[in-house]
Amino acid sequence: MTAFLIAHNTFREAVRDRVLAGIVVGGLALMLLVRVAAPLAMGEDVRLTVDLGLSAITWLGMIVILMVGSSLVAKEIDRRTIFNLLSRPLPRPLYLFGKWAGLTAALCSVAIVLGVALGAELALLGRAAYLPSLAQAVYLACLELAVVTSIAVMFSALSTPVLSALYTLGLFLAGQWCDDLRSFASHAPGALGTLLKGAANLLPNLPLFNMRTLAAAGDVTTGAHLGIATAYAVMFCGAVLMLGAAAFESRDFK
Amino acid sequence: MNVTAGGVSVKAGPTRTETDQPNVQDARQVGDLALDVRGLTKVYRHPWTMKITPGLSDVSFTVRRGEIFGYLGPNGAGKTTTIKILTGLLKPTAGEAWLLGKSFHDVESRRKLGFLPEQPYFYDYLNGVEYLELAARLSGLSARDAAKAARHWLGRVGLGERARMALRKYSKGMLQRLGLAAAMVHEPELLILDEPMSGLDPFGRRDVRDLVLEQRARGATVVLSSHILPDVEALCDRVGIVLRGKLERLASVGELVQGGTPRVELRVDGTPLLEIPATFAGLLERRESAGDTVFTLHDASRQQEVIAWLVQQRATIHSVTPMRSSLEDLFMAAAEGSAFQAPLRREA
Repeated sequence: MTAFLIAHNTFREAVRDRVLAGIVVGGLALMLLVRVAAPLAMGEDVRLTVDLGLSAITWLGMIVILMVGSSLVAKEIDRRTIFNLLSRPLPRPLYLFGKWAGLTAALCSVAIVLGVALGAELALLGRAAYLPSLAQAVYLACLELAVVTSIAVMFSALSTPVLSALYTLGLFLAGQWCDDLRSFASHAPGALGTLLKGAANLLPNLPLFNMRTLAAAGDVTTGAHLGIATAYAVMFCGAVLMLGAAAFESRDFK
Repeated sequence: MNVTAGGVSVKAGPTRTETDQPNVQDARQVGDLALDVRGLTKVYRHPWTMKITPGLSDVSFTVRRGEIFGYLGPNGAGKTTTIKILTGLLKPTAGEAWLLGKSFHDVESRRKLGFLPEQPYFYDYLNGVEYLELAARLSGLSARDAAKAARHWLGRVGLGERARMALRKYSKGMLQRLGLAAAMVHEPELLILDEPMSGLDPFGRRDVRDLVLEQRARGATVVLSSHILPDVEALCDRVGIVLRGKLERLASVGELVQGGTPRVELRVDGTPLLEIPATFAGLLERRESAGDTVFTLHDASRQQEVIAWLVQQRATIHSVTPMRSSLEDLFMAAAEGSAFQAPLRREA
């Protein structure tokens, strides 16, 4: 219950922040711009619209994570608002979980608003057949944002906003290429290969959440893929938040 | 060891009174103690140089239920460090504490705790009623009770008209009042207030005094730290004076004030050229006031001798006033007695 209260407050903070409103407006403007530029796509306008629209959801969400998520806990410590929370019967791990849940909910709201706008655009273009794949892609984008948010919240609890933004961006980019790293590891000799494989397994497997190419072609993914992605996101977020909570538990607030 | 400083006699080093240590274990078990602090120690270690800075050293004291306890000390003495450890914001290097019978390691010990941090900060995107509802719900009130309590407490601290105003528009005094309301919104059994008078005008200070007394009348225990010693003297049953991380003095306000050397102030006229005789050297001070001369005698037992001398010198005595030591005198004496010296290294 206390985690829900923190999540609700974090969601309220994010929604009332001008960054989030700006991101939504920016996303909608980008979709409009894609429609204007569609004739240049030489018949691939729907593919372009879906691909860019889904990319916008991920990247705009990433901007919110870097701008809001990376300072989510650090800002509370810096402004000492955390004193009013942790001096109440609120376990620190639940506080951290609440912060993550609140920001994830705000990001999912943005993703859903932009996804609905994209779906409406496709419906107006007479391409309602793309909607199921679009819904799946938006769902996976939400899972991806949840995973990256957990990383941002963990770093935010332990480091400064700038450093946690850099670490989060670094892991996001590395996570996007973890399939390539795994493939490279399979060709690397002996210990180096094992080391690279281990590193690839520790990185967030973000390609698992990317079905933009499928959605751009109007193809849906399997239920198994959705299930595995969901389970992976739950486990990864849980592990990262537990790691963050373990370190946060012993932290002093001077 | 008795130390005389500033005309006031204080005992240097930790002092225990009959209200503290005896049967502490029994009292805690029967629920008589609101706060039991044992050997609280905090050492700060610099992460790079590994240099150790002592923050708090073996602080022990108890506060009985229904008491108002003043925790005094200059900046950097360790007041806020103690309070932050008790409220779960700092981890102690050593020591134990029990809040309302529960170990401070247990988050449930904070269920019936109300805390006002020094210079409280708030979420500026919330309004007054939203903030108090959040505070009340985090302390365990249901949504319905929290909404009711939030409205009540906003009105109680004079912010009822501004319930829906964003906190970024609140003045410093209004935020301090809101902080107090947040500390009391769930009707806690133990209140810890760090500098509750800070940032308040005289009317605000009076309101805080009334609130604290009202909480005590309700049965709550109040621990407050303050620099405004007359307020502490007026409010507190007992005080602890902490200096350089050590608890130097622990006694009731009455004991402290009675314990000081009694003084007498004599206002006389017609003594412009009078010289203080050698027999009163060091005991009698004089200062010229508008229209008369004021003698301060630091040993009341020699009052008759001084009066006889003044009469002999044909001085007109207007008044003879026994003076008691103020808490401020005793505080300063304790500070000087422990060889306390500014500057201070850290925030309290």
